[in-house]
Amino acid sequence: MLKGKTSLDVTQVENFIFDMTKCIKCKGCTWVDHIYMPGVKFSTRCPSATRYLFDSYGAYGKMRIGLALVEGRLDYSHELLKILYACTLCGACDVGCKRNLDLEIELTLEALRIKAVKDGKGPMPQHKKIAQDILTEHNRFGAPHQNRTKWLPEGIKPSPKADVLYFVGCSASYTNPEIAQATVKILDASGTPFMLMPDEWCCGNLLYSVGMVDEARELARRNVDMVKQAGATTLLTSCAECYRMWKVDYPKMLGISTADLGFRVVHLVEYVDELMKKGTLKLTNRIDLRLTYHDSCSLSRLSEPWVPWKGERGLWGMVNPPLDRRRGTNGVYQQPRDILKAIPGVELVEMPRMRENAFCCGAGRGTMEAFPDFALWAAEQRLAEVKEVGAEAVVSACPWCKDNFAKVVSKNGEKLKVFDISELVLASVEV
Amino acid sequence: MAISQETYQVLESIVGPEYISANPVICEGYRAGPGGYECGSGYERVMTKVPGCVIMPRTTEEVQKIVKVCNRYKIPYVPYSTGFYGARSHPHVSDELLIDLKRMNDFELDEKHLYAVVEPGIIYSQLQEEAMRRGMYIVVGGGGSQVSAIANMIGDGWSPLSYRIGLPHRRILGTELVLPDGELVKLGSLALQGDPFWGEGLGPDLRGLLRGFTGLRGCLGIVTKMAIKLLPFQPERLEPTGISPHTTLQLPTNRVKWINFSMPSKDAMKEAMYEMSKAEIGAGVTKVPIFWRVIAKAKSKEEFWKLWSKENEETLSSFHVLRVLLIGFASEEQLEYEERVLTDIITELGGEARRTRPSDESWFKNADAAGMWLMCGGYVSVDYVIETIEHAIPHGENYAQLKKSFTPPLMPDYGDPGWFQSFELSHQGYSEFLVYWDPDENTDRVDHFYLETSKENIRKRFYTSLLGPHQPLYLTGPAYGPNYHKWLLAVKGEFDPNFVCHPPVPLAHDAFVEQAEWMKPLKDWESPKIRQKK
Repeated sequence: MLKGKTSLDVTQVENFIFDMTKCIKCKGCTWVDHIYMPGVKFSTRCPSATRYLFDSYGAYGKMRIGLALVEGRLDYSHELLKILYACTLCGACDVGCKRNLDLEIELTLEALRIKAVKDGKGPMPQHKKIAQDILTEHNRFGAPHQNRTKWLPEGIKPSPKADVLYFVGCSASYTNPEIAQATVKILDASGTPFMLMPDEWCCGNLLYSVGMVDEARELARRNVDMVKQAGATTLLTSCAECYRMWKVDYPKMLGISTADLGFRVVHLVEYVDELMKKGTLKLTNRIDLRLTYHDSCSLSRLSEPWVPWKGERGLWGMVNPPLDRRRGTNGVYQQPRDILKAIPGVELVEMPRMRENAFCCGAGRGTMEAFPDFALWAAEQRLAEVKEVGAEAVVSACPWCKDNFAKVVSKNGEKLKVFDISELVLASVEV
Repeated sequence: MAISQETYQVLESIVGPEYISANPVICEGYRAGPGGYECGSGYERVMTKVPGCVIMPRTTEEVQKIVKVCNRYKIPYVPYSTGFYGARSHPHVSDELLIDLKRMNDFELDEKHLYAVVEPGIIYSQLQEEAMRRGMYIVVGGGGSQVSAIANMIGDGWSPLSYRIGLPHRRILGTELVLPDGELVKLGSLALQGDPFWGEGLGPDLRGLLRGFTGLRGCLGIVTKMAIKLLPFQPERLEPTGISPHTTLQLPTNRVKWINFSMPSKDAMKEAMYEMSKAEIGAGVTKVPIFWRVIAKAKSKEEFWKLWSKENEETLSSFHVLRVLLIGFASEEQLEYEERVLTDIITELGGEARRTRPSDESWFKNADAAGMWLMCGGYVSVDYVIETIEHAIPHGENYAQLKKSFTPPLMPDYGDPGWFQSFELSHQGYSEFLVYWDPDENTDRVDHFYLETSKENIRKRFYTSLLGPHQPLYLTGPAYGPNYHKWLLAVKGEFDPNFVCHPPVPLAHDAFVEQAEWMKPLKDWESPKIRQKK
C-alpha cells in the first residue's frame, strides 16, 4: 500500500509496496559508500549482484520483481526463487539505501521470502530438509539432540543459576566447539558465573531467514520463555546469527521491542569489551600476528535493536508517528577492533571494505545450504581482500563466517589462518 | 521469449549462455520505474517497456557483433551502463534488447600524462578514488558517484567544481564508438596507434555530435571506451570518516577549504562570481539554495518537511549564501593567497563568512543525487541552461513564476528559483531547475509543467540544454532552428538507417504527447511521422 495504514510487519508484504516502488536504481545498495570507495578493486558490497551480474539480482532488480510478484504481473518460477534466495540478506543493500533514500530494503526482502513460503513456493528444497532437522533434533545439522552439550570442556561447570545465560547456538555446539569452549573459558577467567539453558534448542535463524516465520516464531516464544524462566538478566551469544535473532528478529516476530525482551542480549565481543574496561579481564599474552577483522553482518550492520512501528503514510510518503529507522549506524563495529588492538603483538590491518561496507562471507541466511557454490565464491572474494592487505589471519565473530572461510582456505590449500575472536581472546588471557 | 529463437541463439553465441537472458523475471529487473529519475511521471508510464532480452557483452568486439545482429534482424536495442538516468535510458518499444555494459569495466590510468581510459562499467567514485590516490581529480557530476563515468561525460557531468575545470566535454579524449550499425569508429588520437591521449586529432572528432545529439540517451551508437583527462590535485589525503549515513571526507584545511558566505543580495552573489573569476581564484563556486541546506540538516523525510514548513517566500528571497571552494593546488601559500583575495572581494560586496564545516559530503565524491528523491519520491531536473550568468538567473526566476500554477502537484517551494553558478571562470553561467512531486498522486500536471517549460523557453528565448532529448522535437525544432528537428533526424537517418538504436529517440517525447491523452490539450504544433517497429 502506498498511502494509509502501514507498519513494519514483515508477514504482510503489502507494507513494503511503498519501498518497492521508490527504488531509483542509484545502486548505492551495490557499490561501497562513495566516501569509502577503495577504487576499481573491491568496489561492491552486494555479493548477489556481484556474482550474478544481472540487475535482477541487485536490490533494485529485486524491488521491481517483488512488486511485479505482489501485483500479479509475475508468477513464481525457478529463476524468481533463485533471485529471492541466492541472497545473503546481509544488509549491505539496506545501509546503502539508507545513506540517501531510507527505503526498508532488508525488511522487504524478508517479507518477500515470507510471502513465498505462505504461497507454498518457498523455501528452497534444501531449506525444507534443514527445517525438518530443526524441528526434530532442534539443531540445523540434524545431529542427535542429546549431544548438544558435549562441547563442554573439562573443569568448567556452568552455574545452575546466574545472571548471564550463555546461548551456545548450533554451530558452536556441534561443528565449532572451539568457540563455545573459548567463550566459557573466557567467562571463567574473568570470574563471571554463567548458566546454560536447561535444554537449548536452535535459535531458528535459518527458519526465519528463509521465510518460515510461523515455525521461527514458535522457537522464539519457546526460547524467550526459557530465558525468563531461568531468571537471567543477560543473554550472551558467541554467534552473530544467534545474536541478531535474539536481539532483532525475536522481538520483530513477537511484536515487541528489544528493550521489552526482559533481558539484555549481548555478543561476546561486547561483553569482553565491558570486562576489559572494568579491568576484570586483561589481555596479556603476546600473539605476534598481522591480522584483519571481518565484520559479520549480523553483528554489525544488522544488529541495531528492534522497535515495532505502525502508523500512517501520507503525502510525500511521510509517516506518522515518526519512524526511527535502523540504518546500521550503531552496529557492533568498534568493540572487536578495540579487543584485537589490546592484544599484545597483534597488528590489526583493515580491509578496504569494512564495517557497514563489509562484503559478506556468503554463508548466512540460508545461502550456504541452498547455494553452496555462491557461498564459497563470496568467501573467496573476501579472502582475496584479506590477502590484499597482507594479513596472516582473518578473524571474525561468528562461526558461520569462520566455517565458510576455513572451507575455502582448505579447498585452495592456502596458508591463511582463520580464527574466531574468542580463540584469540582466550589465547591472550589463558595462563 | 520476446525475440525469435534464432536471434537469441545468434546472440548467445556471441557472449555465452551465462550472459544473456530473455527470462521475464530477469527482464523485469530492468524495468525503468516506478521509481527513479523522471520516473513516476507520465513519460515513464507511457514510454518505457520491460526489455525483451538482456545481454551483457565483455568486449567492444562483442558489442559490435551484437549491434550488427540487431541490424540484421531489425531488433531495437538500447545501451545501458548503470541505468540511473531513469526513463530515458530504458527501452521505449516492446521486445527491445537491452545491452547491459557493466561487464565492460577495464580501467587504465596513465599517471604521466594524466588521463584514465575507462569502459562503461566504471563508475565515478572508482575513477575519483583512483585519481585522488595519485594526486589527481575529476569532477563528479550531478548524476552522482555511482553513475557510469562515460555515460555522464557524454551527457551532463558538471558540478560546482566545473567553475575552474569546465564542462565534461573538455576532458573527453580519445574515444571508441560503436556506431548504430555496428561499425567501429575511433575518435581523436585513438584512431592512430591506439594512443588515446588527444581528443581533437588526428582521427575524426565526433564528440560534439555524440554529446550534442542525445548523449547518454543513447541513440547514436555505444561508447565502449573513453580516455578522460584528469587534473592535478593537491597532495594531501581527504580522509573518509563516519559511519553511514553520516560519512564524509575530512578536508586538509591547509590545502582544501569550503567557505560559505552570507551575501546581501543575489546581485552581490553574481558579482562575487565575476570578481573571483577576474582574480582567477577559487576551485568551485555555487549559489546554495536554502532547500539544500534543509536537506543537509534533516535526518529523515519527516524532519525535512518539519524544517521546510518553517520557510516562506520571504526567507527564501532573502537567503543569499555563496559557497566557495578553495584549493591550494600548488602550495599552502596558494590557498592562503586566494583566501585573502576572496575575503577582500566578499567584504567589498558586503558579505561575510559563515562558519563552515571542514568536510565535504557532496562534491568531491558526490552521491547526494540519490537524496533528491527522499523528500517527495519523484524528482527531475526539468531544465538547465548553460549560457551566461545574466541568462541563467532570469531563467530560474521565470521558471519559479511558471511553477506556481503547477503547485501542487509540484512540491511547494515558496518560489525557489533553482540554483545557479558560473562555469569556466564565469565565461559561462548555469541554471538548473529541479522539481519534486509525489508520484503516488495524480501526476498529469507534472507532465504539463514539463512541456510548459519548453514553451516558456521559446517565449522568453531561453537557451535550454534539453532541447533535443527531453522535449517534443517538433515543438522545439522549428522554434530554435528553423530546421533543427530536420537536421537532427537527418543525422539519425545517416548513422542509424534501420532506426534500431533506441527508437523512437529523438522523437520520444513527441511520441509521448501523441500517446498520452492528458497531453493533448497542450498540443499546438505539427506532428512528426514516427517510425514504429512493426
